[in-house]
Amino acid sequence: MGWVTRRQLTNLLGALCLVLVLAGLALGLPALDAALPADRPVPSDRPYAVGGGVTVVPPPGSRVDVTETRPTDDAGTALFRLGPVRYLITVRPFDGDLSAAADRLRQRITGTPGYQVTGVELTVATGSGLAGLQGGYTAPGRGGRYAVFVAGGCTIEVTVSGADLDLGRTLPTIDASTRTLRYDPAEPE
Amino acid sequence: MTTESRLRSDRTAPVQPGADPGAALIRLPAFWVVLALVVGGAVRMALITGRFAGTYPLATLTAIALFALLAVPFWFVVSELDFLEREPPALLALAFAWGGVVATTVSIPAGAALDDLVAKLGSPHLAADWGAALAGPTVEEIAKALGVVAIVLVARAQVNSVLDGVVYGAMVGLGFQIIEDIVYALGAVALAGRGDHVEPVVTTFLLRGFLSGVWSHTLFGALAGAGIGYLVVRADRTWRSRLGVAMLGLLGAWASHVLWNSPLFRDGLGNGALALLVVLVFKGLPPLLLILVLVRAAHDREADYYAAQLDKLDDPELITPAELAALRSGARRATARWHARTSAGLRARAAVRRLQRAQARLAVELSRGTTDLSRWLHEVRRQRRILAALGHPEAVAPAGQGPWRRTASAVFTTALAIAVLWAAISLLGGR
Repeated sequence: MGWVTRRQLTNLLGALCLVLVLAGLALGLPALDAALPADRPVPSDRPYAVGGGVTVVPPPGSRVDVTETRPTDDAGTALFRLGPVRYLITVRPFDGDLSAAADRLRQRITGTPGYQVTGVELTVATGSGLAGLQGGYTAPGRGGRYAVFVAGGCTIEVTVSGADLDLGRTLPTIDASTRTLRYDPAEPE
Repeated sequence: MTTESRLRSDRTAPVQPGADPGAALIRLPAFWVVLALVVGGAVRMALITGRFAGTYPLATLTAIALFALLAVPFWFVVSELDFLEREPPALLALAFAWGGVVATTVSIPAGAALDDLVAKLGSPHLAADWGAALAGPTVEEIAKALGVVAIVLVARAQVNSVLDGVVYGAMVGLGFQIIEDIVYALGAVALAGRGDHVEPVVTTFLLRGFLSGVWSHTLFGALAGAGIGYLVVRADRTWRSRLGVAMLGLLGAWASHVLWNSPLFRDGLGNGALALLVVLVFKGLPPLLLILVLVRAAHDREADYYAAQLDKLDDPELITPAELAALRSGARRATARWHARTSAGLRARAAVRRLQRAQARLAVELSRGTTDLSRWLHEVRRQRRILAALGHPEAVAPAGQGPWRRTASAVFTTALAIAVLWAAISLLGGR
């Protein structure tokens, strides 16, 4: 007893190689991902294609986060960052009306533990004539604003989140950007 | 043994019989390392599922129940692939657990990171179109293939043919598929934003269970497993060629997965059930056919090997020449059971099945050089006596009864599969 056989050593070596490859996948790839910047500058003087035929003019000084931006023909997401504030636009196929779309978005927000919708919803409109609903929500350590529009068989959801001070500073430019939302199915992606 | 079957089977790797590991495996360090990984993965996946279960208890229960039910026929088919030398249930469960909790735990962060890297090094457009096709297969196929490697490290003697590699690979893939589907279903519930409703679970079940189930992770895992099986058993070849074949198996699994996830023909054939069915068949059929050919060849090789073991006995009470021929083929074994049922009833069918299993086990013990065969000889003779008492002494079907039945069965199964696919596509609105 107490002896380790050559077979056991080889077996241990094989098992450690197994763990090494798994660690490379589970820890190495995320570390490599984290080492590369996700933000890219984005021009604020022309529309940016979100996906599904929806465009928006980004707020001045914002940067697009490529890790959460995925434009496709029938849907898409675009995440802009203004410092610590997140400005996320999501386009999804949808066959309901505006109140159903707003209800769905509220459910998703409040589905996250600690998130609460605050105040009443207001009607909003974009420069291109899209009618929508807008409201606010609060979460531990941060606040947020949401807006939702329905156009051409899809829903356009806008969520803005950040610390209250940062939100107060950036919301005017974000509101201005939201008003530039446009749905044009013929718009090239 | 016919010349045709010998030629076909001789093209594949030989069978390397190995002893039952028994309790010896607990003395292997790899056993404890793999066990720790499985426990860690199980805790991680339980935490993820628990988070959903707290918010959507009904949807979570429904998802677990539906996909657990889906796993049953897959498990049965995969474990029956190697009828002659059946794999220990504990190792099959370990392979399933690896796929279900280890490979998924690793793939969630790694897949997301690789998808991000595609966006960072390429563009968001590239990631939107090809991210799922590149990131998912790359990470997941490696993580799943490591499951077969883990089985080799824990119980090398149990991987003694290419078919064993296929079985363990498929089982790892099945575990991955079932757990991934549950997580997807719960993600769909959260995304729907309608609270604890089961409709998104049912939709995911139809989409991922039926439409993608046949040619999904189980199939990809089997391809990678075949390569690893070859690497392990083909000791007569150089390390270079064995590694080459193993890499080819992994590459085949990766390529099949990439093709399946790729945006190719996403909109190319229009809308509607027929267009979707054509795309599914185009993307899924090549790997399915490839693995069927591989399984057939590996099975024939194994069948020839074990039939040769039984042939040496030259005792018609243990196995007759006609039974030996039937034992080599899954279709002929099934025909023999069917014939027993139609001519002597259900008890005869069950006895034929037990006889075939006992004969197969006897062949395995003979190949292992087991000195005391009395237990297996006794079981074969016992089933023979039961069959004789039922007036059905030989476990075979008369000549000519097999082919038409096999053809009818194949046509019926294909028609049923198409009908199920069609129904699933139609329920999903052809999208």
